Amino acid sequence: MSIPPPDLPPLDVDVRPILRDGGEPFGAIMEAVARLAPGQSLRLYATFKPVPLFGVLGARGFEPSAREIGGGDWEVLFSPRAAAPQPDRPATAAPAAGNGNGGGDDWPEPSIEIDNRDLDPPEPMVRTLEVLEKLMPGEALAAILPREPIFLLKELESRGHRWRGATEPDGSYRIVIRAGDGRAAAS
Amino acid sequence: MMGAALSRWTMASFAAALAFLVGAQALMVAGYGFPAADIRAPQTLVVVHMVTIGWLSLLLCGALFQFVPVLVAKPLLHERLVLPSLLLLLAGLVSLLCGFLHLSDRAGIAVMLLALAGVLLPAGFALALFVLGATLWSARPLPLPARFVAVGLACVAATAAFGSLFSLALAGFVARPALLDLHAAGVPVHAAAGFGGWLTFTAVGVSYRLLPMFMLSPDHERATGRVVLYTGGAALALAVVAAPAEALLAGTAVAFHVAGALALVALAAYAADLSHFYRMRKRRVIELNSKSALGAFAGLYLSAVLLLALWATGTISAHAGALVYLVAFGWLTGLGLSQLYKIVPFLTWLECYGPVMGRKPTPRVQDLVVERRDSAWFALYFLGVAAGAGALLAGAPGLFRLASAVTLSATAAIVVELVLVRRLVNVKAALRLPEGTSRPRLFLPPRTETATIGAAR
Repeated sequence: MSIPPPDLPPLDVDVRPILRDGGEPFGAIMEAVARLAPGQSLRLYATFKPVPLFGVLGARGFEPSAREIGGGDWEVLFSPRAAAPQPDRPATAAPAAGNGNGGGDDWPEPSIEIDNRDLDPPEPMVRTLEVLEKLMPGEALAAILPREPIFLLKELESRGHRWRGATEPDGSYRIVIRAGDGRAAAS
Repeated sequence: MMGAALSRWTMASFAAALAFLVGAQALMVAGYGFPAADIRAPQTLVVVHMVTIGWLSLLLCGALFQFVPVLVAKPLLHERLVLPSLLLLLAGLVSLLCGFLHLSDRAGIAVMLLALAGVLLPAGFALALFVLGATLWSARPLPLPARFVAVGLACVAATAAFGSLFSLALAGFVARPALLDLHAAGVPVHAAAGFGGWLTFTAVGVSYRLLPMFMLSPDHERATGRVVLYTGGAALALAVVAAPAEALLAGTAVAFHVAGALALVALAAYAADLSHFYRMRKRRVIELNSKSALGAFAGLYLSAVLLLALWATGTISAHAGALVYLVAFGWLTGLGLSQLYKIVPFLTWLECYGPVMGRKPTPRVQDLVVERRDSAWFALYFLGVAAGAGALLAGAPGLFRLASAVTLSATAAIVVELVLVRRLVNVKAALRLPEGTSRPRLFLPPRTETATIGAAR
């Protein structure tokens, strides 16, 4: 990671209007993250403390610092850590057991882990594909879904991604997806 | 498991099913069949089978071809038999209805049509059973909702077997006295297997997955769910197998009463599960499909209360029409319409936006409907059903036709809304058809296989 220019201001993202409209801000946030210059911070405004994001952006090397700014709103500054992100738990590797279309041992550590359990269908699938589209070929993503995502599996297959997944004891489904090298179509 | 695709003929079977529902209600408004005619009159048989086979069975078959793979996380096997199955069912139903219409003149044509129906309908159900049964078999051990579907499929086999026997008996091919006795004893069994087993048990099974899925409720298997399966399954076995045997051999009806008691236990346990799903949901504001399903559940439990009341007062045969109406329209049609209101937008969304999801901004599934407008139609529908059941109980055929006009208008409005969903009319123009998508056809499958998923490339 390059040395951040000291005077680069944080990129501001205010998702409060989206949240008040009952919308889903995750796509907007991830797009903002993708727009960040190297070393730039992200300043997020939300109507609640966005704890799930801490893990997601933590896995991408951002350190959160949150404060309440009145009216129940929160401001969170995600600053890049100086060092490259460390995989914080080795257990995030692809499950060895379970189903999948990807053989071999060349499974990288997932660079991002998302929890989609509390989303309405088909949002868990949309969210997973949104994040997946931002990965480089060969990078992996881990996602927890409410149940075995059979429409998603079909879509992964047709988009040329590899995956491994298994049902967890609580009935949810954990999948690790390795981004394909191009936009290969199946068949 | 490599995922499952959209079922190609599900929308077409929904379309045919809805056409039969609208047609049957139009006949009811016109005063055709019960209560103007006798409950066993050919006209009544026409309306009843338009509702049970034309509407409810086609609806359920279409839904199962799509949802059995979702329930068991396996692809549908022998998919190429789906269209022949639906065509056989349609042809068999048309023969059956025409055969009923010619019953009174006892002409040779009635014999031929009923005999044809007695072959085509079981063949259509057998193909559907084979496709769904093979898929379930490949996925053993089955999760709870799929086990309900398996019992439902066994019941449709029994229903179709009895139905085939009746139509062959009516056609005069089966004239042996013992079989004709079975015919007389068999009508309640045919109805119990059809309404209780095939339609209700399967719908209950599917509800165990659909309700938690769309309300974000916990859906791990609960002991009460197994109680519903075992007591309900035992009640069906007693009603369909033991009760007719007992009636023929001993002339008593112990098995039928035990079956009734077990069914009540199943209904009570199901009520506990329904209340669990609604109370434990993570989604605070529920959507119209889950809200209007409450009307259907009210229909189910009112039907049970009505059955008990009729049994206690010894008036079951006098009011069987009202009971069947409440089960068919309050419970099964109510649930069918309320779930179609979610399933059609959901499948349409997947068909249209699946290829670009995650790549392009897409509308939400909710954007395909206008719930505020449509909640009125559902309210009107259930009001009409309540009035219709009341009219039948009170012996007021004029009021029944009026109530049927209300349910028909509400149904027609819901059908129009579903057409608007397929046409993406409610989606903002800017989001309607992003590059890489194509407009779904009204009810036919996409022109090529690749158009469903993969059009973006």
